[in-house]
Parts: sequence; structure tokens; C-alpha cells
Amino acid sequence: MASAIPTFTKIGKVIRLNKHGCTNRPFYHIVVQKTRDNFDGPVIEQVGSYDAMPNSQNEKLVAVNFERVQYWLAQGAGISNPVAQLLGLSGFLPNHPQTLIQSWKNRREPPRERKLQPIKGIAPPLDNPKI
Amino acid sequence: MFARSSSRIFNVINISCIQSRSARAWVRKPLGSPMAKSKMFRIAPKKFIPADEKAEVKRLYDNYFHQMKSLRHYFFEQSLEQAESGEVAQMKHRLEEEEHIRLMEENRLENEKTAKLREEKLKIQAEKTRENILASLINKEEETRLYEIQIEAFLEKQKATPFIQAENIEKAIEEALANPVDFNFAIDLDGYVYRGRETAIEKIPEEERERLRSN
Repeated sequence: MASAIPTFTKIGKVIRLNKHGCTNRPFYHIVVQKTRDNFDGPVIEQVGSYDAMPNSQNEKLVAVNFERVQYWLAQGAGISNPVAQLLGLSGFLPNHPQTLIQSWKNRREPPRERKLQPIKGIAPPLDNPKI
Repeated sequence: MFARSSSRIFNVINISCIQSRSARAWVRKPLGSPMAKSKMFRIAPKKFIPADEKAEVKRLYDNYFHQMKSLRHYFFEQSLEQAESGEVAQMKHRLEEEEHIRLMEENRLENEKTAKLREEKLKIQAEKTRENILASLINKEEETRLYEIQIEAFLEKQKATPFIQAENIEKAIEEALANPVDFNFAIDLDGYVYRGRETAIEKIPEEERERLRSN
């Protein structure tokens, strides 16, 4: 190995969310891509998925392949903020500051109107509609 | 997305090379155009964040980036270790070993073959050199023999010539004084000697013709 210290400044590859799905129904793929490629461009590897619409149990399902994420982090891939937040929530990475900031802001400010309404009548309604 | 992208041609922005009937994508406001009336005296609202919140945010981010950096380093080192000792690496190592042994075996066989060929070639060469040496020795012998014979002949000839030894000297002197040799003569290309005043050999009678012979 030429140098044991990898350079993180030049991030060629990135782990981020690619929005698929259709109108009013977003679905994200957690994906390893080159930074300059588009959301519909070539993807190096899909490493998980994130469903933004809550399901019948009021859950937003996230799937992550932690082994591959670890591999790509070792190779020097960057992570986008949403993916970092998800991984932090899952416990693989430390909690992202954005989660904490958002949580105290939610506690402070009154809630606002949201497009994505949780499904009523199946599970108990959420206390804070912001989440 | 690329079909709608606008290009900058001759510093004119917002022109699409590809014809499309849908709405033109807006890249940016042309550089020479004036500010819009609605935006003339606009002051952008700046969010006020209290100092303690800022400090907290900074602390959180610093910690986070520190942790991420160390995690990345750790993952990298893990990957290095795995590369050395993982399954794939072991299999690769094993395959390489086998390949190495096979190639060494092949090399050995090849070497043997070439060694055999070399042996034969060397034998033939040795034979040839031996013959050459023998022939040259024989030649040398012949030459020395001939040389010796020549030397013998030469010596004989030299010995045959009458040398004047110390004992013969007085006799030789008396003889020389008694028989003076006259060199006042001419000679022509055929070796005929002209002592008198005659210049043509036909004028001299047969009995008195003298001829110098070259040995």
C-alpha cells in the first residue's frame, strides 16, 4: 500500500438517496454513485432503500446493507446528509447533528401543514405531525 | 435533463441546441440585464441564531466530524486487514502458490531439455576442436620438417662455397695475385660477355663466346 492515509478531500464516490417512484409517491434508493452522475445515471451499487411514505403501521421503512456501506466508506466514498442521518438513526454511525437540531426545533416551533399525511384510523395518530 | 440543458454560445445564455417544444429551461438571468423592480430595494432577511445555539451547533458538528473521520480511518484499516487475511485473499494466495509450483515445474523440465541439447552440441564441438587441433599439430610437424630440410639444403650450399679459412689465407692470396680477374667487360640481356670492341655476338666466333650463367 503506497499510503496508509487515504485522502478524503477528493470524494469521487458518494452514498446518497436517488428518488424513484412516481408523482406524489416518492421512493428513495440508497445508492453508491460517482458525484457527477445524475439521479438517473449510472449507479455503482445499490446499498439500500428508504420509503418516505409511512406504511400501514405508521413506519417509514429503511433497508441498508451495512457491510457494503462499510466497504465503500473504507474506499473513501462520501455520504450525503439524509443518508448520514438515516445511518445515524440506525446506529451504524453516530447521530447526525441535523437530527438533534431538527428535533429541538420541532419541540420549539408550532407545526406546519404537510403534504404527506399519516394514514388515520389504523394506528394511533402521531403526537408531533412534523415527524 | 440533458436534452433541456441550455448552453452558452457567444456569451448568449439560455439557448438550447436541441429543438424541443416544451418549456425552455432557465439557467440564469442574462448578465447585462437590469435588476427587476420588485427586487430593487429588497433586503434579504437574515436568520437570527442566538450565540449559545450557534455554539451548540458548532460543538455538535465538530464532534460529529471528528467521530466520522476516525470511523473512516478505522474502516480503511479494517479493509486493509481483511484484504490480507480474508477468504478471497486466502484463495488468491492458494491459487498463486499453485500457479507458482506449476510454473517452476515447467521451468525445470524446460531447463532439462535445453541442458540435454546443450550437452550434445558441446560434445560435437569438442570433437571438432579435437580434430582441428590434431590437424594443426600435424601441419606444424610437416612445416618444421620441411623447414629443417630447407635449412639443411641452405647450409649445405653455404658449406659448399669455398670459404677462405685461416690456414688457406696465404695460399688464397698467392692464387689471387697469380690469377687477376678483369672486370672490364660489358654484358647484354642474354648474358653474353663482350670483352673486346665487338658489340654484336654474331661477330664473335662460336669458340670464343663467353656467357655468364645465373645460378
